Amino acid sequence: MEVDSPEQLQRKQSTYLSFDENFEIQKEVYRGQQYSQIYFARLHCMRALLYSLVPNWKSHLPVCTVLGLEEGKECIIVGTLYKHMKLKPCILDEYSKERSVAPLVKPHNFIHQDDYLVLEDESGRVKLGGTVLSPSVYVTGVVIALHGKETSAGAFFVEDVLEAGLPPQIERQLKSREDKYVVFVSGLSIGSSSSNPLLFQLLVDHITGHLGDEEEQGLAAEIVHLVIAGNSVEISRGLLNGQNLASKDQSRLSEPFKELDIQLTQIAASLPLDIMPGSSDPANFSLPQQPLNRCLFPGSATYNTFRSCTNPHCFELDNIRFLGTSGQNIDDLTKYSEAKDKLDFLESTLRWRHLAPTTPNTLGCYPFTDRDPFLIDSCPDVYFVGNQEKYETRLVKGSEGQSVRLICIPRFCETGVAVVVNMRNLECHALTFGMQFSS
Amino acid sequence: MATTSRNIKVFYKQKKNTTTSTEKKSTKNPSHKDAAATFGSDVTQATALASHGGSLDLKDDFDEEEKVLAQFDMNMAYGPCLGISRLARWERAQRMGLNPPEEIESLLKGGKVRLECLFEGRV
Repeated sequence: MEVDSPEQLQRKQSTYLSFDENFEIQKEVYRGQQYSQIYFARLHCMRALLYSLVPNWKSHLPVCTVLGLEEGKECIIVGTLYKHMKLKPCILDEYSKERSVAPLVKPHNFIHQDDYLVLEDESGRVKLGGTVLSPSVYVTGVVIALHGKETSAGAFFVEDVLEAGLPPQIERQLKSREDKYVVFVSGLSIGSSSSNPLLFQLLVDHITGHLGDEEEQGLAAEIVHLVIAGNSVEISRGLLNGQNLASKDQSRLSEPFKELDIQLTQIAASLPLDIMPGSSDPANFSLPQQPLNRCLFPGSATYNTFRSCTNPHCFELDNIRFLGTSGQNIDDLTKYSEAKDKLDFLESTLRWRHLAPTTPNTLGCYPFTDRDPFLIDSCPDVYFVGNQEKYETRLVKGSEGQSVRLICIPRFCETGVAVVVNMRNLECHALTFGMQFSS
Repeated sequence: MATTSRNIKVFYKQKKNTTTSTEKKSTKNPSHKDAAATFGSDVTQATALASHGGSLDLKDDFDEEEKVLAQFDMNMAYGPCLGISRLARWERAQRMGLNPPEEIESLLKGGKVRLECLFEGRV
């Protein structure tokens, strides 16, 4: 029998900094306010930013407010976009007398060719015309600057658009680093009928170094962090229909968490892990979702490597900034706008400098009064979104030398794919787990 | 008949007064509170103070301090006033670099004025 070699593989480590305080709502006080305050905060911050960018764009044109528009005068206006959508579901439809318009099957996407855009600031609003601005690309809640003039019909004919663009990025010294990997996984959906416990166990075994020979263990030792981006559990719908549960059903309710906790304990004993809530997890519905309660994880929460994080989640590892969500922001953009692929949506949110522009219009959000926490001030190095259909990635370059790795993390229960990012060069590859039984 | 026509004259007299001076209308207000609710669409922000729409504010304190604070409430540069206390709104404006006037802060911290905005509890 072979004796274990005296050298033990040490896992690499990296320094961790969390930037989630922005997304926490413990200090917020709800005093019955509505959403006008968060829109004001968003408009104010973005407008100040766009005003500073306008001189580099078109310095010869005057900037005015919507109420200060004069017919025929070319100028620049800055405001929040509102997209009027014909097919957007409205609560008032239930009360309208003619019910024939309501379609029986709700489309997954509410775009219609008759949608139009309106620009709004605190002085007024104006309908936008012209062909430069395509309504299908934009959503309500984006703040942009427009160059154009008012027509005789009272609309604003758009000639050019200025988006805020990628935020400034702090330069990272990437060259002199060693290979260190961060693993992203999302959509474990433990408790659902389609999740395969073996696949997740394989992932855990691989990351913790219990699989493979020395070479593979050596690779696993270079993994420094794991991020679980939402939808870790799925409670069957039948248990959540509002009726009182019998005691045997109550234990069924907590089964997925016990299973998840067992797996997380194995992981937490081995390397630092962050778990974010998602749309199917027991956290609050509106963004920013608060961290999952530690009492759900009696085994793993005792480890100091276990961190329960907010959604959206922002952190730094070895001075590389990571920012991402569990998918609700991109899914909402998919419903209300069009793009070639999910990475385009991700890139748009960066160019608009806002994580979730459709909040609070169509995506639930806490009514902040003094700030909009979803504004992106500093460009991340890695920008991820969880619970998407497939693994996709792209490197985006900004006009001032920013470089961001965009990642769409697929649902693990459906695809068996996790994503691995190398912190040395921000390259990214997929880690696929599968089972094939030879017949 | 004579009394109603006199009431109507007083009604119209009040309407003219609102555009020029803001002190006079408040003294004639109590008996015409329902009529007062109909005008107040002038741009001058303080006219909104007159239209309680029902509840009789016996204190009727449209004194100088309250007027200054009402102007602060109505100023769109500092954002909407509903759903946030006046002091919080002042501090937010300060943090955003909008330079709200210092006297508002001292008035609010002085303690004898309403801490909530004009429309709080009424809308």
